[in-house]
Amino acid sequence: MSLIKVKIDGTEVEVPPGTTILKAAEQAGVEIPTFCYHDALTRPANCRMCLVNTNKAPKLLPACYSTVMDGMEVTTTDPKTEKTRKSTLEFILLHHPVDCPICDQAGECTLQNHYFDHSASKSRSFTRKNHKPKAVEIGPRVTFDAERCIVCTRCVRFCDEVSKSGELQVVQRGERSEISTFPGRSLDNAYSLNTVDLCPVGALTSTDFRFKMRVWFLNSANSVCSGCARGCNIIVDHGENRVQRYRPRYNADVNQFWMCDAGRETYQEFQQQRLDSGRVSGFEVPTKDALSAAAAAIDAFVKERSVDALAFVLSPLSTNEDTWGVLALAEALGVTRFYVGGRAAGQADELLVLADKNPNRKGLETLLAARGLTAEPLSALTTGIASGAVGGVVWVGHEHPRNAPLEAALQKLALRVVLTSNASVWSTGASVIVATRTFEESDGTWTNAAGKTQRLFRALEPLREIPPTWDAAARIGRALSAALPLWLSARSVFDELVRAAPTLATTWDGPSGRKQGRPDVPNPGFRAQAFPRRG
Amino acid sequence: MGYKVNRPEFTLAENAYFVEMAKGIGVATKHLVENLASRKHTVTREYPEQQPEYAARYRGQHRLMLRDDGRARCVACMLCSTACPAKCITIQAGDYGDDQVEKYPIKFEIDLLVCVYCGMCEEACPCDAIRMDSGVHAAPELHRAASRVGKVDLLRLGELSIAQQGGTFR
Repeated sequence: MSLIKVKIDGTEVEVPPGTTILKAAEQAGVEIPTFCYHDALTRPANCRMCLVNTNKAPKLLPACYSTVMDGMEVTTTDPKTEKTRKSTLEFILLHHPVDCPICDQAGECTLQNHYFDHSASKSRSFTRKNHKPKAVEIGPRVTFDAERCIVCTRCVRFCDEVSKSGELQVVQRGERSEISTFPGRSLDNAYSLNTVDLCPVGALTSTDFRFKMRVWFLNSANSVCSGCARGCNIIVDHGENRVQRYRPRYNADVNQFWMCDAGRETYQEFQQQRLDSGRVSGFEVPTKDALSAAAAAIDAFVKERSVDALAFVLSPLSTNEDTWGVLALAEALGVTRFYVGGRAAGQADELLVLADKNPNRKGLETLLAARGLTAEPLSALTTGIASGAVGGVVWVGHEHPRNAPLEAALQKLALRVVLTSNASVWSTGASVIVATRTFEESDGTWTNAAGKTQRLFRALEPLREIPPTWDAAARIGRALSAALPLWLSARSVFDELVRAAPTLATTWDGPSGRKQGRPDVPNPGFRAQAFPRRG
Repeated sequence: MGYKVNRPEFTLAENAYFVEMAKGIGVATKHLVENLASRKHTVTREYPEQQPEYAARYRGQHRLMLRDDGRARCVACMLCSTACPAKCITIQAGDYGDDQVEKYPIKFEIDLLVCVYCGMCEEACPCDAIRMDSGVHAAPELHRAASRVGKVDLLRLGELSIAQQGGTFR
């Protein structure tokens, strides 16, 4: 089909018939302000913010809905359009409480941005603003403020079209209209927090993130969700060297614009019982001592028993680099027994969530295959210990489901070296614990269930001198005089593993999404710790 | 271009040293006697018994202003800690729920040793909640921790503000 020529603010672009003015303007590099429009949702054209002047109609046309015509000339900065925008904003702000200092959306609010870009004029209203319910628990994870709502209906359309649960509706008319759930229902679908991202104002806020931190203090980095094997692309927002929230990041191939609520809560798992130093026989030690103790313990065990009695437990939550480092150590020692743990399988749904709750099982399997190794499920370790075949383990990770027989069997082992970021039942009673970094603290890659390898960018400052797992494994190996390559960074491990397993190739230097709000203090609250308040 | 400096030549008496030394001892003795008698020449202030007079716009220790019902006016918007160049203000926000003002500070701490008394927090505050007009000179403390003043101490200096919370309706 032939293309149509359109002129937008003097820039001529050629677009296929049926393109909206908004999309044509995007192509021409002209930004048209919107509230209700979203790429993934239907277009009700109800906010009237995108009205633009054309030579084809006497009145202004909504750019998000109107399609282009041949020879159309669109102006987005002429006095008529600008005056209309100003009036639209004046109507929207008529009953919008300007309590930005209290509102959690301030700093990332579309209304705030549009007001400063397109209006920035004082209120002419002399009536009191409408008062509506505030801080309503509209769902278990979402807090609703009816006053701030501008009734763009993005959340309503999301629940109708994407999550297909349809809990939300618009009730009342005119200035009294507000968003509400249908009687007896609550906004509790598995994707409810996407409505918070969609909300252009502070009407829908995340109950978890609410009032935790102002958004302009947040630092960001691009990463991947650890919640399941889908590998949804996320932005890790962190402040004071703690993860404050996850936000979905657009990826057309994986997760579109969305991520599930369960995935957003996974950051808490890596904050519980976080290890900030190694342990030898239960005593806190510096990392270098933990590493040499681990090497000495493995050496003594191999000399006393044999390397055949040594097993490695791998985690499908480790990055490919970490797994590669651990496998290199195992191979240098001559270990042949491998067990794979990881989170227990759960429920899948039609949209994003997969039953496998481990983000990197595919990568782990590929790397095992690349080294010609085989692994058994973790449950087989119980029988392995009972039969006396396994006398010691090197254990990676903490995210394995509780298993009473295995927990009891572990107590009988002569050697338990654990490389983990968080303490768990699997590290209690271990002879040596080496504290390692979480995925948020390390650079690396994960391979999702579809076989797509995706890059994780380091978000947090590592606590103290805690090493990534690949580095810990390599240092243990070198202490045992094993011939391990001298890796200097995750990049060099990645380059090596891609040579062995070319299917795991990906762009290492992608957009990192790093944004600095306020520098992260490596030891959060150090002032308070150093000088506790007296009296 | 330089200019000529007038350097008077020393007289014979000045070069003789002892005469001038005797004169100097004379001045010192005179001051000593006068100070012992009536403290004529001392400029030392007997702080803290004798407090200095502060100017009306003197920026002293911070205080948190109160609402009509005695709660802090502060809504924990963090604008003061955002504006603070010394990063000495630590605020933790809490939730009142469906109140007129839903946000309040659970914790509000200022490290007076880190503070540079620039007054940016006052300027930034949209609620007239933090002020530095207490007229209290931040006291030296024996321990650093004692200089971290919390919400209770800041509110103790506070009083009602005549500014209307949430602005005025015209």
